[in-house]
Amino acid sequence: MIVAERLRKTFPGKGKDKTPVVAVDEVGFTAHDGQITGLLGPNGAGKTTTLRMLYTLMTPESGKVLVDGVDAALDPNTVRRSLGVLPDARGVYKRLTARENIEYFGQLHGMGAAAIAARTARLAAALQMEDFLDRATEGFSQGQRTKTAIARALVHDPKNVILDEPTNGLDVMTTRGLRGFLQELRAEGRCVIFSSHIMQEVAALCDRIVIVAHGRVVAQGTPDELREHAGEANLEDAFVTLIGSEEGLHA
Amino acid sequence: MNKTGFIGSMFTVMRKELRDFTRDRRTFLLTLLTAPLLYPLLFLGMNKLTNMRVETQLEKDMTLPVVGMARAPNLVAFLASRGINASEASADYEARIRAQREDVALVIAPDFAADWHAGKPAKVEIVADTTRRTSDVQVARVRTTLTEYGQAVGSLRLLARGVNPMVAAPVNVGTRDLATAEAKRGIFLSVVLPLVLMLLAFIGGSHLAMDTTAGERERQSLEPLLATPASRGALVSGKMLAAVTLGLASLLLTLLSFKFSASVGSGMASSLDVSFVAMGKLLVILLPLVLIGTALLTCLAASAKSMKEAQSHIVWLMMLPMLPGYALMAYPLKDTQLWQYAVPFLSQNQMLVKVTRGEMPSATQWAVYVAASVVLAVLLWSVAVWRYRQERLAISG
Repeated sequence: MIVAERLRKTFPGKGKDKTPVVAVDEVGFTAHDGQITGLLGPNGAGKTTTLRMLYTLMTPESGKVLVDGVDAALDPNTVRRSLGVLPDARGVYKRLTARENIEYFGQLHGMGAAAIAARTARLAAALQMEDFLDRATEGFSQGQRTKTAIARALVHDPKNVILDEPTNGLDVMTTRGLRGFLQELRAEGRCVIFSSHIMQEVAALCDRIVIVAHGRVVAQGTPDELREHAGEANLEDAFVTLIGSEEGLHA
Repeated sequence: MNKTGFIGSMFTVMRKELRDFTRDRRTFLLTLLTAPLLYPLLFLGMNKLTNMRVETQLEKDMTLPVVGMARAPNLVAFLASRGINASEASADYEARIRAQREDVALVIAPDFAADWHAGKPAKVEIVADTTRRTSDVQVARVRTTLTEYGQAVGSLRLLARGVNPMVAAPVNVGTRDLATAEAKRGIFLSVVLPLVLMLLAFIGGSHLAMDTTAGERERQSLEPLLATPASRGALVSGKMLAAVTLGLASLLLTLLSFKFSASVGSGMASSLDVSFVAMGKLLVILLPLVLIGTALLTCLAASAKSMKEAQSHIVWLMMLPMLPGYALMAYPLKDTQLWQYAVPFLSQNQMLVKVTRGEMPSATQWAVYVAASVVLAVLLWSVAVWRYRQERLAISG
């Protein structure tokens, strides 16, 4: 279970007027085990920054992150151990094969060779990557690279999974396959958080949706709750209404 | 959950970086083999050229343009007996020397014969451009021969007047050279070898060091790596260890090629100390420099925004090992003061020169050297680790 409490993060401003940019402000939500939680918002809404604070790459200015009850600021190593992360930057080592990429991360998690091999076989089957597992990743398609990066992130069998825009740049078939994989993760009782700017994707997968715009949580709840909250029968209209009303407030 | 130790993660990172780097065949071979292959060429080439210059200019007959040859036939004959053949100089001899078409000329003054007979010093002038090094040997040769002639004639004159020539030589100046045989051979080495070795030790592993830090960041694989539980210190240490391994391997190959080229070379080259003990000493002296270089590069590359920015540091880094060499050329220092062994590059320079001279640095010098190097390397390592702990580093692009 991942709990975010009133997270706030600002970046120093660039250029002549050095006014700091508020990237994330008062963002809070809870992602439960056995559920998929979607972080939905337009580009530049603060999704990636929020996720980076969840997986301890950034320290929030205020607020706190609890992963399975452990404060990320106090014990980041325990938190990192229980997290599987697909960051926004998902470069793989192109001179190594997909298997070697996965193996490297397994070793960094302190796993033995046998455990890594067994886990790699399971992930390769689930992600349908057997045919390119032993090829050097140079020249991989976007989908093959993403699959390698996901397998690498999940090699240590983490209880919690954070994926930053996992379907970015993937074709329809690969996206469908990935969706099935996320549902499997949910069925195994894991806590899955993923971010996306695509409404349909979030609607198709998520048990809970957190809508983020301009660094703030605009609304959150189950799809039904959101429809009700916005007074729209269709989730897309609800999304537009919710984001739009927020922009109206700023104007 | 599994526990990961610092040492375990460090070696995992090192193994992976080396494996990754060796897969890039061309870069790998270039990094490892350039210096070992270039060094014998440089060494044997310079050795050959030096020998050639000495042979052709010292032993062969030379022609010397002389103005007013007819005024001193005896002098001309004496020169000829020493292998210096005089020929009448053309009128534009000064212009020809400036244009480097002649190396040196001799002018016999118009009143040479008159002064000679009067027993006054008769004037001859050596004409040369002293800023041209190509004429050094010839000018020295002509000057020595003229001095010899002057002394011979002077002695004869004294004898003719019934005076013992020794009266005119009250002081007998001699030089006793205390330099060891090894030191004499090492003169050549003390100029070229320390520089080549220092440069190689300092930036030999540079490509790997930059590729694993700035390069990894640019290829967007740093963020996933930093999300693993491996400590930042272990990551940095593993990467640095990989670069140090590569630097040492390339250094070892260069020393072997140095040994090989010294054994096939002729003249000075064949008499150098190239025993395995001497090679081992050189390696021990250079090891701290490999550590310092790798740590410094990792620091710089970790704070660089791109691989390009990291690579542009190489220019001034290459200058650093050359500085003490130039400084010593302008202001030679005795290598006895202890502080010199604490200054990076200067200390390596002094230590390498000592070893190639066949001397052994004293225990205190070793202690100061090793302590200063280790402190500096650890300091740079901590800065690199601190950089890796910074949030800013993790976010690529």
